[in-house]
Amino acid sequence: MDPSPSSQPEFDYLFKLLMIGDSGVGKSSLLLRFTSDSFEDLSPTIGVDFKVKMVTIGGKKLKLAIWDTAGQERFRTLTSSYYRGAQGIIMVYDVTRRDTFTNLSDVWAKEIDLYSTNQDCIKMLVGNKVDKEIERTVSKKEGIDFAREYGCLFLECSAKTRVNVEQCFEELVLKILETPSLLTEGSAGLKKNIFKQKPPPADASTSSCC
Amino acid sequence: MIEGFDDFTIASTWERFISEIEGFCRLWFVDGHKNLLDKGAECLASRSNMYMIKCELKHGVKLYMMEYYFQIHGNDKAEQWDDDLHSLQLSFGVTEFLIIAPISASGVVLDAPESSKLLSAVAIALSNCGSNWPAFVPVHDPSRKAYIGIQNMGTTFTRRFDSDRIGSQVPVRLLHLEGLYELFVSKFALTSVDFSTNCFSVRSTMRLTYRTPYADDDDAESQDHINRESKGDAIEFNHIKKQWDDDCPWAEWYSSEDPIKGFELTAIWPKKMFEGSVEMAELENESPFDAEKWLLFPIISQNMIDDSIGKFGFASQLSHLVSALDISFEAKYLEDFVSAENSGSDISKISDCIPPPAVVDRILKEIFQNGVESWNSVDFEKRNSRFIKGAPLGSLFAEFCLHLLWLGNCNIRAIATLWIEFVREVRWCWEESQPLPKMSASSSIDLATCLVHQKLQMLAICIEKKNLLVHEPPSGVESEASSVNKVDLHDTFDQSQDMLSKTSLGTSSPPRLVVQHGAEESLACSQPHGTGYRDLLATDVKRKGSAGVVDSMMLLHSYQNMHSPIIQDAPPMTEDMHEERLRAAEAFGNLLSFSGQLERDILSSDMSAFKAANPDAVFEDFIRWHSPGDWESDEAEDKSIHDIVNSPKPNWPPKGRLSQRMAEHGSLWRQIWNTSPAIPSSEQRPLLDPIREGEKILHYLETLRPYQLLEQMICTSFRAAADILNQTKFGDFRLMKAKIDQLYCTLASTLKSLIANHVPDRVELIGDLKQLCVVFGHIEKLVILAASIHRKLFDAPRLSQAIFQDYFDFYLPKMGTGLASLCYDKVFNVKQVVKVHERDVIASLFPPPTASQSWRKVLSMGNLLFGHEPILREIIFSVYDNVSNGQYSGSNLLASMGDIETHRMYICGTSNDLRVALSVTSWD
Repeated sequence: MDPSPSSQPEFDYLFKLLMIGDSGVGKSSLLLRFTSDSFEDLSPTIGVDFKVKMVTIGGKKLKLAIWDTAGQERFRTLTSSYYRGAQGIIMVYDVTRRDTFTNLSDVWAKEIDLYSTNQDCIKMLVGNKVDKEIERTVSKKEGIDFAREYGCLFLECSAKTRVNVEQCFEELVLKILETPSLLTEGSAGLKKNIFKQKPPPADASTSSCC
Repeated sequence: MIEGFDDFTIASTWERFISEIEGFCRLWFVDGHKNLLDKGAECLASRSNMYMIKCELKHGVKLYMMEYYFQIHGNDKAEQWDDDLHSLQLSFGVTEFLIIAPISASGVVLDAPESSKLLSAVAIALSNCGSNWPAFVPVHDPSRKAYIGIQNMGTTFTRRFDSDRIGSQVPVRLLHLEGLYELFVSKFALTSVDFSTNCFSVRSTMRLTYRTPYADDDDAESQDHINRESKGDAIEFNHIKKQWDDDCPWAEWYSSEDPIKGFELTAIWPKKMFEGSVEMAELENESPFDAEKWLLFPIISQNMIDDSIGKFGFASQLSHLVSALDISFEAKYLEDFVSAENSGSDISKISDCIPPPAVVDRILKEIFQNGVESWNSVDFEKRNSRFIKGAPLGSLFAEFCLHLLWLGNCNIRAIATLWIEFVREVRWCWEESQPLPKMSASSSIDLATCLVHQKLQMLAICIEKKNLLVHEPPSGVESEASSVNKVDLHDTFDQSQDMLSKTSLGTSSPPRLVVQHGAEESLACSQPHGTGYRDLLATDVKRKGSAGVVDSMMLLHSYQNMHSPIIQDAPPMTEDMHEERLRAAEAFGNLLSFSGQLERDILSSDMSAFKAANPDAVFEDFIRWHSPGDWESDEAEDKSIHDIVNSPKPNWPPKGRLSQRMAEHGSLWRQIWNTSPAIPSSEQRPLLDPIREGEKILHYLETLRPYQLLEQMICTSFRAAADILNQTKFGDFRLMKAKIDQLYCTLASTLKSLIANHVPDRVELIGDLKQLCVVFGHIEKLVILAASIHRKLFDAPRLSQAIFQDYFDFYLPKMGTGLASLCYDKVFNVKQVVKVHERDVIASLFPPPTASQSWRKVLSMGNLLFGHEPILREIIFSVYDNVSNGQYSGSNLLASMGDIETHRMYICGTSNDLRVALSVTSWD
C-alpha cells in the first residue's frame, strides 16, 4: 500500500463504500473479515470507523475506502454526512434479529434517499450471521423480496465463518464498475467527455441480482 | 417505341429543343418516383410530401430550367384544402406537374410569343412520350406570379391553365362573393348574360383565414386613444402596459419576447352547390361559426429558430459566465481583476468594465435584503436539482449568482468587484453578529450543495452559536431562545427514540426509592455511585441539563427516573472538513481501529451530560440509554416497565447485563466514561468552536481562487436557472417535463466533471460548458413557448398540448448536440383541428376590435368574426359537365369519369391583393 514512486497512479479507481445498519448486526466484523481475514469480538464502534483495502477486481486495481458507521441512533446525524459521494452502500442486518431487518426499510432506506448525493449509487443488502442458522428469524426469501423491491444486490453471509464475505464486496464493486457515471468520479485522472456518452436513462433502477 | 430523330443536320433548333425536353421527360417518366429520389430529387423544404427534380435545357442562346414536381405517397385525390399543397396544385387542382422557365434574373418569360412557343414545345414533347403531365410557364412580371399552362388529357381533351394577380386596389365588384361568382360564370357562359336572371349551378368551397390582433399592434397613438377612452379605468390601461410574462418565474430576472405572435384561424366551408349570385351573397353573411372545420395555427416568433437574432435569457448569460470562467484561470486572486493598473499578461487585455459603485451598492442591497428564505421549503425543489452541486435557489449565494448574471453581462471584473463587496458584507454580519440573510441556521449542512454555500451555512450556525456565547449568562441558565432551540432539537431526537413521555413525570416518589435501595445490591455491576437515594432534594439540586424523564427507564442503582440529558449537537462539518478527516483517517488506515478524536469527543460529551443529568447513574445506565442493543435483559423489560407504571409494586430490579462485546471489549467505552466529568452540555466546552470556525470560513471566502469561485457560480447558476424554469406552469405537457428532467441529468453529469478535483483540459471544459449553454437555451425557449401556449389556450388543454407537441416535433431536430447551431430552413406549418367544443375558447382570442381599429379598417369582405375580417379568402369554383355521351365514347378515360370538371377557378385574396387561377377543359 506504499505509494509507488512511479508517476502512474497506484490504482485505477477509488471507490467509497459505506456500511450502515443497526447496532450490533456485525458491520465492523464483516469489515474486519474482509480487510484482514480475521474474526474477533469487537467493541461497539464509536461514531465512525474507516478502512482502506486495495483489491484487484475485474482486472482493475481498486482502492476501496470503506466507512463503517455506528448503528446507535445518537451517531446517526453524524453518519449522514458519510453518505456523500459513496458509490456503494452496504445495508447490513442480523438474520437472527428481526428488528434489524425491519429497521432497514423503516429507517435506513429512508436515510439513503435523504442523504445520498449519488444518483446511481449501488445499494447492497447483506444478511449477516447465517452461521446461527437455528436462531434465524429472517428468511432468505424475505431478504430477496426486500432487495427486489428496493432495487439492490443481495447476499447472506457470515463474518464468523467467512461465508460469502469476499463475494459480498466483490459483487458490489463489479456492479459499480458496470455503472459509467460512478466510474467517472471514481476514476484517477481519467477524463470522459459526457457528450460522447449516451445520457443516463431517466429512471433505470439498478437491477437486483438474486 | 419511337426512335430518336438524330439527324441534327436537318433538324431546326426548335426541333432539337423539343427532342431534348422529350428526352428528359421520357427519362423521368420511365424512372418512376422512387428511382428519382435515388437520383437526387430533393424534397421541398416547406412541404413534407413534395419532391422536385430539375434539368437545364438550351434553346439557341437561351438557357431554360425544367423542373418536375411530384409526390411520393400517392394521394391523387388530395384534400382540396390540404395545407401541404404547392401553390400550383392549389391553384389548378393538379397533382404532379412540370415548370419550364428561363434562367434569368426575373425567372419568367416576358414576351407572349415566347411563352406560348415554349409551352407548345413542352406539350409536343409530352404527347410524344404519351405523358399527361400538366406543364406551366411563368409569365409576365414576377410580382404577378402569373402562369400559363397546358395538359393533354387523352387524345381528345386539353386543359388550359391561366393565372394572374391584381396587386393593388381590387375592384369593389371582386371583393364580394357575388362578383367573384359572376367572374367565374362569365368564363363559360357563351355570351354576356344578365346574371340576375340566369342561374348557373356552381360548386364552391371556401377557406377563410383570420389572424388574432397583435398585442403590440397598437402604436403609441392608439394607446393614447384607448387611454382617453377608458379614463378612470386605470386597470385596463395597466393591463396593456404589462408584459405578457409578468407572472412567469423568470420575470424576476428578465422579460422574454412572447414567442407566440398570435394565431391564425382557418375556417373551411365544404363544397356546396350554389344556384345564383344571390345565394353567394348570402354566404358572405355567414359567421365562421357556420364553417364546417376550424384549424388553428400558432404564429411563432422567428427567434425560436433563428439564432442569428441574438441569444436571450439565462442561456446567454450563462454563456457569458462560462467565458468568465475561462478567463478566471489566468489570475491567482480576484483582486487582480479589479485593480485597473494591474498589468498581468492577459488580464490587461480585458476591456470589460467594472460596474459603478452605485450599481454595486444597489445590487448588494438586493442580495442582502432580508427576504423569506424560500429554499428550505423543498416543495418545488425536485430531487433532480439536488444532484447539481450548487447552492439552492433562494439562498444567499444563489441570489448572488443570479444577480451577477444580469450585471454587465457578468464579465470577470464585475464578478470580482461584486464578490469582494459581498464577502465584505458577510464579514460585517459576522463581526456584528447579525444573522446572514437567506441562510437558515439549521444544524445540518447539505453536502450536496457547493462549498461556498456549505461555508455560508456553517457561518450562519457559527453566528448563532456566537450570539449564544455572548448573551448566555455564565451561570448556565440558558437564554430563552437557546433553550427553546435546544429542547426542540432534542425533542425530535427523543421522539425518534420513542422514549419521551410526559406521563411518567410523577413516578419519582420516595416510597419507591426505598424499594430501590434493596434492589441495588442484587445488581451484578458494583460501582456505587452517588448517594442521591438518601436525599432526594440533594439529587435534584445536583441534577443539571436534563431534557426530561425517559419514559419507564429507571437507574439501576438508585431506582430513580432516568433523565435524558440535553446534549450538544454533533458539530456540523463542511465537505472540506470531511476530506481533511478522510486524509487523517487514511494516514492511520493501517491501524486496527480508527476512531477519530471527534467521535470520542462527542461520546465523552454525551457521557458528561448524562452524568450531569443523572448524578447517580452508572456506566450500564448510560449504555441502556445510548445503545440499548448492548444491554441484554433477562426478562422482557417492556413488560415490567408497564408494571412499574401501573402498579406500585414493580418487578425490580431488572435482571440484565451488558452485551458480551461491550462487557469484554468495550474498555474504550468504559475508559471514556470514567474520565468524563459530570458537566451539563451548557457548561461544556462546545464541540464546535464558533469563533474559530467562523474566522476560518471568512478566511476561505476572502482567499477563494477566481476559478474556484467561478466553478461554483456556474454550478449554482445552472441549478438556479433550471429550478426557475422548472417552476413554470405549462400544464400537462409531458414532453416538456421529460425534457426538463433530461436537462437536469445532463447538467448534473456535465457539471460533475467541473467539480471533480482534477482540472481537465481547459479548452475541452469550456467547450463542454458552452455546449451546455446551448442545450439550456433550447429548453429555455421551449419552456417559454410552452408557458405561452398554455396560458393562451388555458381552457382548451387538448389543443394546447397538441400544438405544443407539433412544434416540439418540429423543433426537436434542431436540438442536436452540435455546438454550431443548425441552419434551419424548414418552416413550421402544422395546423391543428379545433374541435367544436373548443371553438368558444378560440373565438375568445379575437376580442372585438376597439373603436380605433374598426375605424381604421375598411370592412369589405364579409364573414366577420367578432368584427374581424379575414386576412385571406380563398374560394374554389367548379362546374362539371357530363361528357360521356356517345360522341366521345372513343375515350375510355372519359367514359369512366362520367362528369368532368370543365371549369375550375381558384381565387385567393384580400381587398388589395387578388389572385385568380383558371383551368378550362376543352375538346376540339
